[in-house]
Amino acid sequence: MDSLFMSFVPGDSIIHRLDPRTKILGLMLASICIFYASSFEWIALIALVFVILILVCKLPLKHFVHSARPMILFFVILFLMQLLFTEGKPIFSSKWITISYEGLVLGTILTLRFIFLLLFAALLTTTTSPSKITAGIEKFLRPLPLKYMGISSHDLAMMMSMSIYFVPMMYDNFRNLKDAQLSRGLNIKKDPVKAIIALSVPLVSISVRAAEDVALAIESRCYKSTGRTSVHMMGLKKNDYICLFLYILLILFCIAY
Amino acid sequence: MIFINNLSYRYPNGTLALDSVDLHIRKGEFIAIAGKNGCGKSTLLRHINGLLVPCEGYVVVKGMDTSDTSHIQDIRRVAGMVFQDPESQFIGMTVEEDVAFGPENLGLPPEEIQNRVDSSLNIMGMMGQKNHTPRTLSGGQKQKVALASVLAMEPEVILFDEVTSMLDSMSRNDILLHVKQLHENKTTVVYVTHHLEELVYADRLVVMDKGRVIHDGNPRIILRQGNPLNLGIELPPVIELSRRLCDSGLITPAFFPLSVEELREVLCQLM
Ligand SMILES: Nc1ncnc2c1ncn2[C@@H]1O[C@H](COP(=O)(O)OP(=O)(O)O)[C@@H](O)[C@H]1O
Ligand SMILES: [Mg+2]
Repeated sequence: MDSLFMSFVPGDSIIHRLDPRTKILGLMLASICIFYASSFEWIALIALVFVILILVCKLPLKHFVHSARPMILFFVILFLMQLLFTEGKPIFSSKWITISYEGLVLGTILTLRFIFLLLFAALLTTTTSPSKITAGIEKFLRPLPLKYMGISSHDLAMMMSMSIYFVPMMYDNFRNLKDAQLSRGLNIKKDPVKAIIALSVPLVSISVRAAEDVALAIESRCYKSTGRTSVHMMGLKKNDYICLFLYILLILFCIAY
Repeated sequence: MIFINNLSYRYPNGTLALDSVDLHIRKGEFIAIAGKNGCGKSTLLRHINGLLVPCEGYVVVKGMDTSDTSHIQDIRRVAGMVFQDPESQFIGMTVEEDVAFGPENLGLPPEEIQNRVDSSLNIMGMMGQKNHTPRTLSGGQKQKVALASVLAMEPEVILFDEVTSMLDSMSRNDILLHVKQLHENKTTVVYVTHHLEELVYADRLVVMDKGRVIHDGNPRIILRQGNPLNLGIELPPVIELSRRLCDSGLITPAFFPLSVEELREVLCQLM
């Protein structure tokens, strides 16, 4: 399954071709805007921007909905917390719970904010391959005085991309393992504790082995933490400058507002 | 090209994996290494690649001692390695990025990296899968990408660690033909295998047992004359059949047939 959480979908849209740094900056700005969005009008505006971006990157909305799905429980809890624990004008009340108008509004807005945060992040990860993201992050990190702390920006970026890489791999391992244990008569419903042990213990040892193997593969291909280059020619093009210009307008607008 | 002298290696947990191994691999050779599971084949290859350093003795690759850490990157650049498990040797999210990983480490300029990626993928016939996720490829395709990744570093020696052991026989032949082609193009090949049918292209066979080299020579002579019990490896049916035909004097070929195809030719000439 490749519509896995936040996975990259190769393509050739304008957004795909933007410099990763432009997109990362865009995501940061979008996050800031989302956190300041305190009314439905703002949320609607953000939704509009998101829809436009999706149309531009020519990917089906379904993919993004899929990527938000694993988080549904989190959203529901978030919503209920706000709904139930916000004081205000009651619109529904019984012996046990009171729901206020403010709670409903606040809960909806907060949940929508988190959903859009996730969707914008998914927009970055679906249109940018992880190695471009890390190359972009690496470029951002480079001016920081990391090397005086004994950390190389390449190592940091490498760690990030390896962790992104490991998620789908672990998921595959987990599925194989589950099938293997089920076929040997493991009953998850009947004995959940045993099931967790039967799945997690081998999963940890498989993961440790996989990590060791990958580490060997990385070493044998001459990995070093300084003086690396990237196959992705990074360079700001016309579209990047247009985006940066829009970002500046957005910032000025926000300050003035 | 590669000098291995009195090499012994003990893993930190106490397992003696290599026991005074002496081996000299010449430039342009196609050398096959066989032996039971756990006899130390992978450990030996890891020494040539500088992933492990000798406890005793030394390994010299193209004049560079592997225990001298200042040369380690150059050694790995000269001697590339393809691993057994097609799953866990990918570093990039797409085929292209994975192949680019090595050249990126060499600090090459982007255009040069792109050229190398394209030409290695072309050699391996994997250009069409350039933007695929390695995870979604078949086992044979994965190994071809892994080989392309090593080719992109333009090594002089390629170490193959049982690369076909997890593949079906079709993909195995496909990989083997690629290896043969690389050898014809002057790459030195060190090929660890369990499948003795794969020795057809090898100039030389080294058989290991319990961390020692027990045979070293022409594969056809070793497999013809060696005592199978001493070889420590199971003979495939074709080779067993060839041996019996030779023993009974039915065929007296100029060279001992190692594959179905070769045996067929010998038999055809007889008729
Ligand atoms: N990382 C390790 N730690 C400890 N012992 C190991 C390790 N890897 C291999 N060994 C042991 O070293 C011996 C040789 O292993 P290996 O070189 O992998 O053999 P082969 O590749 O021929 O199957 C085996 O007995 C094995 O159990
Ligand atoms: Mg091995």
